[in-house]
Amino acid sequence: MRPLTEDETKVFFEKLTKYIGKNVLHLVDRSDETYYFRLHNEKVYYVSDSMLRQAVSIGRDQLASLGVCFGKFTKSKKFKLHITALDYLAQYAKYKLWIKPNGEGSFLYGNHVLKAHIGRITEDTPEHQGVIIFSMSDIPLGFGVTARSTVEIRKLKPTDIVAFHQADIGEYLREQDTLF
Amino acid sequence: MDVSAQLEAQKSKFKSINVEKQVSLQFDLGLLASFDTNALEENKLKTETDNYLKSYTRDGTQLLINEIFQLPLTSVQDVGVVVELPKIVTAIPREKPLPKPKPPTRWERFAKLKGIKKNKKSKLIYDEEKGEWVPRWGYKGANDDGSNEWLVPVPDNADPFEDQFTKLREAKKERISKNEARRRRNMDEAETGETQKLENKSKAGAKALKKTELHQQISVAKTSTASLGKFDKPIKGEPSNTKGVKRKFEPNIGDIQKEKEARLNILNKIIDKKGEVLNVRKAIAKNHQEN
Repeated sequence: MRPLTEDETKVFFEKLTKYIGKNVLHLVDRSDETYYFRLHNEKVYYVSDSMLRQAVSIGRDQLASLGVCFGKFTKSKKFKLHITALDYLAQYAKYKLWIKPNGEGSFLYGNHVLKAHIGRITEDTPEHQGVIIFSMSDIPLGFGVTARSTVEIRKLKPTDIVAFHQADIGEYLREQDTLF
Repeated sequence: MDVSAQLEAQKSKFKSINVEKQVSLQFDLGLLASFDTNALEENKLKTETDNYLKSYTRDGTQLLINEIFQLPLTSVQDVGVVVELPKIVTAIPREKPLPKPKPPTRWERFAKLKGIKKNKKSKLIYDEEKGEWVPRWGYKGANDDGSNEWLVPVPDNADPFEDQFTKLREAKKERISKNEARRRRNMDEAETGETQKLENKSKAGAKALKKTELHQQISVAKTSTASLGKFDKPIKGEPSNTKGVKRKFEPNIGDIQKEKEARLNILNKIIDKKGEVLNVRKAIAKNHQEN
């Protein structure tokens, strides 16, 4: 376990800002308790101060996980967000997309979001923007990247892809070995 | 009887072999040619063109023949007196253009890149076993793989039922076919102009390679002193030596404030770089609402 280096922080924050923009500030600078980002086994964890102090006494090999896993660094040093970060992303999301109940199942199996499945979308969402995907009852289901801007979506056919799947809560079942 | 008068009469019939010229002529006896650089007399050329040119040519020819007779004469039976002409001096332009240089093969390109020079070896080498000189390669050559011998030793860890003769023969066949394939590839590349492209590419690569090699050499040389280069003066533009430098990370629990500030700094940089894109539609809508 160690703090992120400058380069790693940059890559990580760049990825986060795609989804929550400036709101990353609220993750770094919290009023309740100090929270840190820590790297362990190439995964980035969001840890409170008290938990960190307890975790330092556990050996590197013995420490399986701590805090909330935000994602991992790939071998080529890119950052991949995990679904476990969804709670924080949903909280601070800038652009949102709601899908109808008939599209929920499809999305939770890892498929892209089609136009027919959209219930609502944040106005003025640009193209290739990270969006958080909610069910109609405002339960966060995952996140993705828009394929088209809001204006362009209106012209699409119902079977066209609107948002590319990045992560969904179905992964809690499908990828439970590597997720945390 | 006095023949001198007769001789004199005979001599007067022919023109003299002595010709006077202001500027002496240049000769290329190999080509049987003489070059006259004297100016022509314009009056004579206009009034009696034919006669003048004839006599002019005769004079030149006379001088050429005089020159030839000064060469060492040899007499050959049945032929007579013979002269051996010297080599041609005048440079004559060649009829066909120079042949294009052969496009280099892959090996030649590689050798050039690496600075490998071809050094000529003698064709024969001394075979101490046989006690005689044998060709370096080829028929009964020194590099013979032994498949033509009556006995081939079985290597220690080889399968005892394997035929070593066929093994050697097959290996040779493979070598030959591999070489042939390379030759074909070289020909193909030369034909399609691929060689030129590759060469241009490797020229650029060679420079980069030289640079990295130089950097490596510098870093080796720098650390080759007793103090591992600790007290050496730095060279201008010296490559930074990242070898042997240990990674260093910040402590896990350190200065909270400092860490937070560092993170915020990075974050601000990212946000600044991206900037807030002005949403035109939204701006117009807002403007309308306000008015």
